[in-house]
Amino acid sequence: MDSDDAEVDFQVRAAVYDSVMTGGAAPLVDELAAQLGLARGQVSAALERLAAGRALVLQHESREVLMANPFSAVPTPFAVRAAGKLYYGNCIWDALGIPAALGADARIDCSCGCCGEAMSLAVDGDALQPADGVVHFAIPAHRWWDDIVFN
Amino acid sequence: MLLFRSEEHVERWCRAWSLPRGATLSPETAWRLARAWYSADRRERAWRRRTVDETEALLAGLGLTGPFWALR
Repeated sequence: MDSDDAEVDFQVRAAVYDSVMTGGAAPLVDELAAQLGLARGQVSAALERLAAGRALVLQHESREVLMANPFSAVPTPFAVRAAGKLYYGNCIWDALGIPAALGADARIDCSCGCCGEAMSLAVDGDALQPADGVVHFAIPAHRWWDDIVFN
Repeated sequence: MLLFRSEEHVERWCRAWSLPRGATLSPETAWRLARAWYSADRRERAWRRRTVDETEALLAGLGLTGPFWALR
C-alpha cells in the first residue's frame, strides 16, 4: 500500500467511526465521498482495504459498512442506549464494547439467546452493574474471523 | 456471542443448534474483556489492530487461556 492509500484509509476509517460514534449511524459510500472530497471509487477501495485488514466489515452485496466494531450499521437484537443515542452491537461482547468505546454509561437491552426472555445490562460510571446471566462464546478464538457475521 | 439466562439455557441452545458448547464468561468478565478490547479510539491515526501476541496477552490478562482462547 502506498502512502496516499494509507492516508485515505485513515481518513475513511476516522470518518466512519466519527459518524457512528457521534451520530449513531454509519455513513454511506456516497456520504463519505462528499464529506471527504474523494471520488466514490477511492472511498470504496479504502473500505475494501480496511475490510481486508479487518478494521471494518462490509455488507456482502452493497459493500456498504456493516460493522464498525463494536458498532453495527444495521439494527440487531443488541440495543444499546448511551449518550442520548440508540446504538446496536453486533453481539453481546460488542454491545458491552459500545460504552467502552464511547466512555459513556449505557443500558443494553437484549434477550436470552435460548428462550428470548428479556435481559438487560447496565454500565454506570465505568462499572457493570451486578447482573445475572452467562455470556457464551460459541466459536474458539482462532476461528472468530472465519465468519464474523455469524460469530 | 450471546447472553443467556443460565448455563442450562446455554446447553439447551447448543443442543437445539447441534453446536458444541463453547466457553462461558460471567457478564463482569465479558465487560472487562469489552473494555480492554474496545477502549482505544479508532478515530485516532495511531490506532491499529493488535498483533496476535498482543491479543494473546490481553486475553491471558483476563484469565482467558487454554485451547479455546488460543489464537494459533
